[in-house]
Amino acid sequence: MRSPVRLERRLEQPKWLNWVVPLASLVAALILGAIVLWITGKNPFDVYQRIFERGFAGKRAFSGALEMATPLAFTGLCAAVAFRMGLVNIGGEGQFYMGAVGASYVGISLGGSPTGITIILMCLGGMVFGSVYAAIVGVLRARFNTNEIITSLMMNYLAAIFLNYLIFNSKSFWRDPDSPQFPKGKTLSARADWNTYSIFGVNLPIGFLIAILAGSAVWVLYKRTRFGFEVGVLADSPKAARYAGIRTTSTIVIVMALSGALAGLGGAADVGNFRGLLDAKGIQMAGYGYTGIVVAALARRNPLVTVVVAIFIGGLTKAGYALQGPNFPSGLVGTLQGLILFTAVAGEILIKYRIRMTPRRSEVVA
Amino acid sequence: MNSNIFIIVIASAIFYGTPLFFAALGGIFTERSGVLNLGVEGTMLIGGVTGAWTCLHVGGSAWFTITVSILMGALAGGLVSTLLAFLCITLKTNQTVAGLSITIFAGTVGLSSYLANIWKVSRQPVPRPIRKLDVFGLSDTPIVGPILFHQTTLTYLSWVLAILATIYLFHTRIGLQLRAVGESPQTADAMGINVVKYRYVHTIFGGMLAGVGGVFYSLAIVPLWVDGMTKGAGWIAIALVIFGFWRPSLALLGAYLFGALQSLGSTLKARNVKISGDLLDALPFFMTIVVLVLVSSRFAHRKLGAPAALGVPYEREER
Amino acid sequence: MTSEIAVKMTGIVKKFPGVVANDHVNLEIMAGEVHALLGENGAGKSTLSNILTGLYRQDAGRVEISGKKVEFNSPRDALNAGIGMVHQHFRLVSTFTVAENVVLGEPDSSLFMDQKAVAARVQELSDRYGLAVDPSARIWQLSVGEQQRVEILKVLYRGARILILDEPTAVLTPIETTELFKTLRVMVSEGRVVIFISHKLDEVMAVSDRVTVLRGGRTVGTVNTHETSTTDLASLMVGRSVEFNRAVRQVPADRERIVLDVRDLCAHDDRGRVALESVSLSVSPGEIVGIAGVAGNGQRELAEVISGMRPITSGSITVDGESVQSGRARSAIAKGIAHVPEDRLHTGLAAGHSVEDNFALKNYRSMSRFRILQRQKIRDQSTHLIERYDIKTPGSETPVRLLSGGNVQKVLLAREFSASPKVLIAASPTRGLDVGAIETVRERLVQAADSGVGVLLISEDLDEILSLADRILVMYEGRIVAEVEAAQADRARIGLTMGGITT
Repeated sequence: MRSPVRLERRLEQPKWLNWVVPLASLVAALILGAIVLWITGKNPFDVYQRIFERGFAGKRAFSGALEMATPLAFTGLCAAVAFRMGLVNIGGEGQFYMGAVGASYVGISLGGSPTGITIILMCLGGMVFGSVYAAIVGVLRARFNTNEIITSLMMNYLAAIFLNYLIFNSKSFWRDPDSPQFPKGKTLSARADWNTYSIFGVNLPIGFLIAILAGSAVWVLYKRTRFGFEVGVLADSPKAARYAGIRTTSTIVIVMALSGALAGLGGAADVGNFRGLLDAKGIQMAGYGYTGIVVAALARRNPLVTVVVAIFIGGLTKAGYALQGPNFPSGLVGTLQGLILFTAVAGEILIKYRIRMTPRRSEVVA
Repeated sequence: MNSNIFIIVIASAIFYGTPLFFAALGGIFTERSGVLNLGVEGTMLIGGVTGAWTCLHVGGSAWFTITVSILMGALAGGLVSTLLAFLCITLKTNQTVAGLSITIFAGTVGLSSYLANIWKVSRQPVPRPIRKLDVFGLSDTPIVGPILFHQTTLTYLSWVLAILATIYLFHTRIGLQLRAVGESPQTADAMGINVVKYRYVHTIFGGMLAGVGGVFYSLAIVPLWVDGMTKGAGWIAIALVIFGFWRPSLALLGAYLFGALQSLGSTLKARNVKISGDLLDALPFFMTIVVLVLVSSRFAHRKLGAPAALGVPYEREER
Repeated sequence: MTSEIAVKMTGIVKKFPGVVANDHVNLEIMAGEVHALLGENGAGKSTLSNILTGLYRQDAGRVEISGKKVEFNSPRDALNAGIGMVHQHFRLVSTFTVAENVVLGEPDSSLFMDQKAVAARVQELSDRYGLAVDPSARIWQLSVGEQQRVEILKVLYRGARILILDEPTAVLTPIETTELFKTLRVMVSEGRVVIFISHKLDEVMAVSDRVTVLRGGRTVGTVNTHETSTTDLASLMVGRSVEFNRAVRQVPADRERIVLDVRDLCAHDDRGRVALESVSLSVSPGEIVGIAGVAGNGQRELAEVISGMRPITSGSITVDGESVQSGRARSAIAKGIAHVPEDRLHTGLAAGHSVEDNFALKNYRSMSRFRILQRQKIRDQSTHLIERYDIKTPGSETPVRLLSGGNVQKVLLAREFSASPKVLIAASPTRGLDVGAIETVRERLVQAADSGVGVLLISEDLDEILSLADRILVMYEGRIVAEVEAAQADRARIGLTMGGITT
């Protein structure tokens, strides 16, 4: 039996598909989610309405969405930057932890410095830790052709164990010595607190502004520079890159390091803007790294769109936390995110292929 | 004698290695057909939560309840991997992203947790856990007793499966055709083998085995359901497929090695051996990376039997 | 010869996105004949045979086998109807043994295989048809010629009555070709049908009973081989009379000087096996040196090594006395080595990138300031080259993969020639192109040589080398086994050395 439906590669990809298809995938995901809710005995309209109210409607809700969007924008950029070159970095999670470790080290050490300098140095600390951690994966891939997907994921688990060690199982620099019974991170000095601006009653964290900056920088890097050109050729055809004398190995390592630096920056923003300490349990619970992959996929790897999509997924996530309770099961948001990812992936196919119905037998003989 | 630390570690390595082997064996079938399943972790979790729910709700004898729970876990795993198969085989999406989306969809904060919530199985001890058997009353036999005669039914089943899978893959006609599909779908297609069917069947069957692996966590190891309880076992299973060079027997050995690493911590702690628990926890993940690096040169990859068409969607009318 | 009609295809139409590959094609084949299907690349021969073997499905038209209408939904249906195909690109599982490949897909319900019985049957078939091959050998251990025999055995094992061979001689040495023709005659003498797809006129004349000519997806006509000639067939195939003559050179090569000097070169292939063994050669300015040989004898590696894409294990490469760094494409480009690789779309070009980006593929570094690309410069270069090389493209921003084969090659040549190279490596530069494009490419190569570029032409098409080269080297198993001046070249002698026979 041959399937009646056939995929046919599009010769030209109309531009409008690039934004219609992601929107359509989103709608499709919400419909699938509604079906899941309905099957499991929930009222989908009610649930979606509550998500919308707590996630997006009103100044308070939108402030919450931006708060969540800040780390997600960074982890989304982390995934997008690697995807652009055909590298799958799912180590954003671990690189985010390492960024938090680096930034909190700087934040704790620089108790008395002016806030501006502290913020910059914390960002640097987060970026260095994140990028070095990711570069390990890049080096293994470039040098030994080791699959980056699994190594980067294993590094997530190792980073989590390292976090637990720092806060729970050792007397490290990061741990609060005044709270031996309930292990927690050392609180950063007030000067290491990142600013949050209030615009028309909406709280805009400085971390989100940095995310917008970072997204723009990545956009320029990939669209306008020599390096971006090289990455593009490598992603399109590694053989053509070798032919043109583009250095494959170093480009892989640089892209991974850049990807990790972005996740690390996210970790820094998370510590500086919101938590104020190295919160080992909290950031593991949040799972920003994994959600970032959803953000990047839905944004179709475009760095600027990634920042916007982060607001949407951020609102969704925030609503998930806020509504958690007997009427709002905890796994729902993850399920929805997974569905969005499915439909986004399937949507990619619609951009690349057109769907044709195979003619029926009677027509063939005609 | 049987309290000797080596014997305990080996016996518990087999215990902890069992679910890893189920998932890895599933991965072998899937990957031999040319499909890369990165959704194993999510599939195991769905299997685990379904098994726990079944165990809590199906009465009857212990045997009956457990059997039905395992079958339900397999069924759930099969359903999840059908979704993957549809994405990868029919829609020809990027297999990496498709697998990841399965894990995010079904994973720790996804559907498995959602189901646990609405089914109210979270942290409910299951009434009839899978227990270790005392085969022929030989469990106290020196040395071999704890290792060979004091294991769970699923462990014995996994040994049978390892043998059957080896015969299936390397000595039967269907196995030959399966490997052809994974090596060169163009050839298989030209020879009249239904590539799509082979890929679907083996991807789904692979998912069912992963589901059974999940059930082992919620019914044997803990035995109750906790969100995200597989803690990366699915990913280790994927690494084990490579580690075992796509061969069931080697994957079994690998699973026990990783099982040993997992059990070492608690065993040593019980013995008051002073060693960092974090270090031991980190070992399986660290080992996986080391192993991957060792086997991952392109050259070694081909030599060790990686299916040549792994991860490549098959498109017939390519021009 | 009996007069029974074995295969009848009427009004076959098959469309692909953007092209009509078969446009109401008719084909009628008698039992017991070798029927040649002749046509240029893109004439629709492969599509037609893929429909006959159930791999594609026609959009319209009727297929009859021995007078009965058939509908093939899969290759399996076609196999069951007694149709077997030997593809141009072999459909073999390289890690399997010969016997395993032969039984693959056999409609046998038994769970286990009787390996011995299979091997015995394979042996019997290979004896009967003179297809020598060891049933227990693994495919990757076999030569290309042997692999083709496995393909034929596969089809015979399944009891095929109708065999389709798609360009079977492209990968064979002249001697192997003669052997293949003997095998084909044995098969038709038993009443089987052989459909021989080719664009080589001599071979069609040598082996077939009748010829059907396709052009541009349509049937041009069917003729009896003994009533026609190569010239007639050529004009049928191309639609006008063409003759490839030896290229006329305006400027003779400067044999006093040497521009490319390669000494004792050794290198490995992708699997880590020795691909080049102590290869030495030199090219003078304005000279075209042809490398002849059957595919897979190290030609590809040679091209890659000289253009810096593949590291050398020992030896040296110099251009005008300056040495090229091993495995550094940038160094080769800087020294003035241009390279037209065999795999144009994915090595020579980045298929998903625009025409203008592909023009900048090698000089984008000079098209930037402070590491920021100067898009205007890139655009200007592109406009200029599109005009100068007469490239048909909707625009500068069109992805290269959407262009026709001839224009793809023009983009590549335009970039390589415009870099004013000292040395040009061209690997199978006309493969897969239509006649018009082939002429253009050959003219360009001659022009380049006339302007003083040293050209290394690597091709499996011996005629191409004979008509273009000043000097011919023959490669066999990673070595240069013969060298002749084109003026004194003897086609038959070169054919022998290509097969490893040195006299």
